[in-house]
Amino acid sequence: MELTTAATLPQREAKLTEMIKRFLPFASLLVLCVVIAALEPKFLSSGNLAGVARQTTVIMIMAMGMTVVMVAGGIDLSVGSMMALAGVVGAFAMVAGASSAIGVLICIATGAGCGLLNGTGITTLKIPPFIATLGAMGIYRGIALLITDGKAVVGLPASFGYLAEGNLFGIVPMPLFIVILVALATHFLLSRTRLGRYCYAIGSNVEAARYAGVRVSRSQILFYVMLGALTGLAGAIESARLVTGQPTAGEGYELRVIAAVVIGGGSLSGGQGTVTGTIIGALIMGVLANGANLLGISSFTQQIVIGTVIVLAVTFDEFQRRRLDSAAS
Amino acid sequence: MLEMRAITKSFAGNLVLAGVNLEGRGGEVHALVGENGAGKSTLMKILAGVYRPDAGEILIEGQSVRLLRPADALLHGIAMIYQELSLAPHLTVAENIFLGREPLSFAAAGIVNRRAMNERSAHMLSEYGFKLDPRSRVERLSAAERQLVEIARATLEAQRVIVMDEPTSSLTAKEMEDLFRLIRKLKSRGLAIIYISHRLEELDFIADRLTLLRDGKAVYTGAWGEISRDEILQHMAGREVKALFPPRNSTKGKTRLLVKNLSCAGKFREVSLEVGAGEVVGIAGLAGAGRTELLEAIFGAHPADGGEICLNGSPLKPSQPDKRVALGMGLLTEDRKRTGLCLNLALTRNLTLANVGAVMKGWIVDGKREIAVAREHIDKLHIRPTNPHKTVNRMSGGNQQKVLLARWLFANSQVFLLDEPTRGVDVNARAEIYGTINDLAEGGAAVLMVSSDLPELLGVADRILVMRRGRLVAELDARRTSQEEVLKHAAVDEDARLASVGS
Repeated sequence: MELTTAATLPQREAKLTEMIKRFLPFASLLVLCVVIAALEPKFLSSGNLAGVARQTTVIMIMAMGMTVVMVAGGIDLSVGSMMALAGVVGAFAMVAGASSAIGVLICIATGAGCGLLNGTGITTLKIPPFIATLGAMGIYRGIALLITDGKAVVGLPASFGYLAEGNLFGIVPMPLFIVILVALATHFLLSRTRLGRYCYAIGSNVEAARYAGVRVSRSQILFYVMLGALTGLAGAIESARLVTGQPTAGEGYELRVIAAVVIGGGSLSGGQGTVTGTIIGALIMGVLANGANLLGISSFTQQIVIGTVIVLAVTFDEFQRRRLDSAAS
Repeated sequence: MLEMRAITKSFAGNLVLAGVNLEGRGGEVHALVGENGAGKSTLMKILAGVYRPDAGEILIEGQSVRLLRPADALLHGIAMIYQELSLAPHLTVAENIFLGREPLSFAAAGIVNRRAMNERSAHMLSEYGFKLDPRSRVERLSAAERQLVEIARATLEAQRVIVMDEPTSSLTAKEMEDLFRLIRKLKSRGLAIIYISHRLEELDFIADRLTLLRDGKAVYTGAWGEISRDEILQHMAGREVKALFPPRNSTKGKTRLLVKNLSCAGKFREVSLEVGAGEVVGIAGLAGAGRTELLEAIFGAHPADGGEICLNGSPLKPSQPDKRVALGMGLLTEDRKRTGLCLNLALTRNLTLANVGAVMKGWIVDGKREIAVAREHIDKLHIRPTNPHKTVNRMSGGNQQKVLLARWLFANSQVFLLDEPTRGVDVNARAEIYGTINDLAEGGAAVLMVSSDLPELLGVADRILVMRRGRLVAELDARRTSQEEVLKHAAVDEDARLASVGS
């Protein structure tokens, strides 16, 4: 006897919650924009929107990488520190004479190297990702402060600033262009490549993936390296924006990055999450911050609001998952 | 003392217990015997208040009682020693024994009187003859010692009934002696003891009465010794063989899988076997015999300590499953939810996981081809629901199992390792799965199948290997043997060590 009859009602409910879950982030963003625009029409000015785009760039690029890692069931708390370290190392290289292009590559390579360290530590030493990257957070920040003696690295080539302030073809902000490229690449990876398949499988059930012949450790290391590389790129953009290599850059960014993924539908336990969702999550936070500034809401209140949004998003995620589990059993 | 009347229980449409009666008289050891899946554990969990029966009643000392929670069972003086131990590893022996009932110095403040606790534990343990230090931490104890702690804890709670589920599974001969002495002591205290075991030779020393369960029914109840051991085996095994099995005409080809003296410390020792192309070899044995561990070691999911494995003639280097999968091995795991399926992913994703390369066009996964492949397998194996995009968590057990079988089919495996392929699967799906297994063999694959379902082994396999306590003890021709013979090799241990257990 099939279980279909007994499962129909919860099945329909589960489908509804699934649809809500899929469209909730986008709907929330829309509602948010409408509300803010109604209260302060300046929100919709092209200058303001471009500003939002530029400010969320760094978070968004890191969040793309974080999406991959979290879909695979991992997490990386060291991204803020990684970003600073990568930015600083690249800055040193450019001050020493490297071109802007080489400088950017060095930032990316530094980030990738940190990611490799994280991934290797987690897979070979079997340290839980949360703990391992919590430690890494302190280590990378410490290194960044150490090699700069706590001071900003100045004297970057003028051309470097193009990365953050330039406009491609005169209209598209350079950072936005980069974000679009990264988003497309990440989306492609997750949805159309074999590695992307493995990512979802490992996050959904790492033991099942192992028994199905997936090379779990190698894949996990790759995901952390990708996140590191993207974080390095974000570090380059941030340095370009500040026109200095700041060892204190990115403080607290890790939580915003993780929040972007979670608000966008990613689950902390893995197996769920999309690039589109993460973009919306990052935009929601960016728009919230921007709207709060325009409306004169203090940054303290902003933090409360963002924290609340994160808790609500995670609660909804948990709630929906539990309902799906009980409907299935 | 204890009477369970007409107990009936179903889980998700499967009838697990059908009107079972069980009587536990004070001062008596009542043996409860039956093979895996007969319903013994479920019956006892009902008694312990973990499950509630769909029908029937339980009487303690003549009074009908309602056991809604384990705490209710404890209140009525029913204690249970589970097969899966439930101790707190970071606490000491004494702390575990008195967990929840710690002697208090100042009752209001809730301060534990550690000295009293240790003293009383020490007294109890010496009285039972268990050589344990009440202050040692449980995590440092061996499996046998932990079982003794569990037993000691249960006797503290038990006032009327004590249930022991396979209590000797980790014990040595000496400890078994101590346990039996303890049981006699509990008998003299007037407790009703229900003793679950399939080790018939042990029961000779301790049982007074016997109830046999088979497929959820009590098929025999009487005094121990009234029926012979062979009759017991007959009762346990004799199930109607329904016409589920496709006709097998096996033509054994060249050896695909060769295992030589494979060992895994603590799980199995010196196992050698070979499976040829076109063969279905079954592995029978009781729980704990090491069958799952054997398959996992062959698959590379668990490292082996010694021995050799050869696939299609070439020896395998120790490795993780990924290399073995690439070489053509597939393992259908015992626990499909934990180690088989990615529950929140669609059927397509689950199906192609072991061979994603085959649905790729260059670097990209070809979504259309993936769906076509899924549809192909849905048709071939009659998987329902037929929508390849549906996530597998909502499918029935049988269909989930088919998805996993399809995974290995799609991966072009040549050696199929199946661990309980029809566990929790309804009859119709079973027939379809048997058909698939037959097709696999006829297609030239080698199939090694672990199963606790004797008719299934007899109907599907060509040869049946029997494992007992980690060793391969028999090889039988499936067409010439019987359920009783298989069970005899699996359950009866004519080990000399039992001679030392006196009465």
